Amino acid sequence: MLHVVLAYIDPGSGSLIIQVLLASLIAIPVFFRNQIARLTGITRRRDSEQPSADDGPRAD
Amino acid sequence: MTALAPTDPATGAIQASRDPGSFRDPGGFVYRRDGIIYRQIDEPAIADWTAFLASGLAERLIAKRRLIGHEDAPLDRAATSTARAVIRPEPVEFISYPYEWTFGELQDAALLTLDVQLEALAAGWTLRDATAYNVQFRDAKPILIDSLSFAPLEDGAPWIAYRQFCEHFLAPLALMARTDVRLSRLLRADPDGIPLDLAAELLPWRTRLNLGLLSHVHLHARAQGRYAADDDAGSTARGVRIDRKRLVTLVQNLRSTVAGLRWKPAGTEWAEYADHTSYADAATASKGSLVEAFLAQTGARSVWDLGANTGRYSRLAADAGRSVLAFDIDPAAAERNYRQVRSEGRGDILPLVLDLANPSPGIGWAGGERRSLLDRAGADAIIALALVHHLAISRNVPLPMLLDLFADLAPWAVVEFVPKEDPMVRRLLATREDVFPAYTLDGFRAAAVARYEIVAEQPVAESTRVMFLLRRR
Repeated sequence: MLHVVLAYIDPGSGSLIIQVLLASLIAIPVFFRNQIARLTGITRRRDSEQPSADDGPRAD
Repeated sequence: MTALAPTDPATGAIQASRDPGSFRDPGGFVYRRDGIIYRQIDEPAIADWTAFLASGLAERLIAKRRLIGHEDAPLDRAATSTARAVIRPEPVEFISYPYEWTFGELQDAALLTLDVQLEALAAGWTLRDATAYNVQFRDAKPILIDSLSFAPLEDGAPWIAYRQFCEHFLAPLALMARTDVRLSRLLRADPDGIPLDLAAELLPWRTRLNLGLLSHVHLHARAQGRYAADDDAGSTARGVRIDRKRLVTLVQNLRSTVAGLRWKPAGTEWAEYADHTSYADAATASKGSLVEAFLAQTGARSVWDLGANTGRYSRLAADAGRSVLAFDIDPAAAERNYRQVRSEGRGDILPLVLDLANPSPGIGWAGGERRSLLDRAGADAIIALALVHHLAISRNVPLPMLLDLFADLAPWAVVEFVPKEDPMVRRLLATREDVFPAYTLDGFRAAAVARYEIVAEQPVAESTRVMFLLRRR
């Protein structure tokens, strides 16, 4: 098993289990935030549909 | 570097000395041969390495200066016969360690690690380790130096290095920001990172109100404790699955937790020191021009500024085209210096936290995995301005021992002697017995000539101080 060898650090049982639980918990507020952002984003986009001077290519 | 694996009879490879900090990963290791740093990739990692190079991810990370670049090297440069590939990573001028970094440096290193992980996840890859020692500062910016850290992301696999990231980055950063900035020194006591149960215990109770710290430190520590005693935890843990979207959310949450930690460098030892000194402007100007003139005589290209404070003279040295390590005992002064360096976007000054009376020792396996500061000394010159009295009087270090240490660090030294008549020394002596009869200008000269030739000696205008240019014998 190649990848067993390559997971050479001990991930820790508790660390693996908690990360799955946390990922699910964190996903809840993120979901709602995204929904809110999507809704407000739609209204905001409507507000700013006029092209602005900022548009166009920009040097990074 | 000590020679742990000097030769391999099968290949007859010679003079390869394995980096004492590169032994954990069976996929490969770093070694030095003929003065050049190489990384050897062995059988267990060769398939992933080849795929990583072909994926385009490596190229993108290198182009963005997030991952160190490398050149392919011929197999006959390998250290052992087990090599499947050999690369020659771009060199890093000075290897620094997390316990020498300022708060901002550790935070930037943590953010780099998470940004690399996010970019890897987006491309179907993952970091299989996340130690702070995999990050170095090159041109004063953090960069990942372990090219072998990448593995393909298996469907549903959690992040193997989540625990390591929390112990190496999040726990020390949280302790520095929310308990005491000096707790970064715990990293020196524990090269595998700060145990999360210890961090949880040392953090103030109110950090439980921070959702990120509650999750990744407090609950994480609790889970570790709970499952450590559970015989079935291993099989439960092996069965956990997490879809990629949620894994990305977790890493993003970790990122905002790290980015949300703030520490304001104020009120500690020396951050305000430059403003408190009794130095007249004329004296400051005189001191600056002496430092410039003396450094020019050394021809030095690299300088260690000992007691750099917020880096005024480090800048003088760097502006003339030198690379400077700006050491200071005070985390606030070093942090201010780092923030200024970062905002100026300059790469020639790296601020680091150091107590010269207790420099970083060798730590980890056999006491040599992370090298001592003295073992990493390699600058052409040191500058020690307004420093000697602090070490000689506040720390009781006799002048001959002090100059011995300076001479061990670099062949040239620009040293400011601050006599007892100076108001700053008077202040140091105000609260204690003067047990320093040898602390005089003549005493300094006598101590210097034991190791150095005194090339020049000039009074600093409008002060009682004297600037020395010393060349090691």
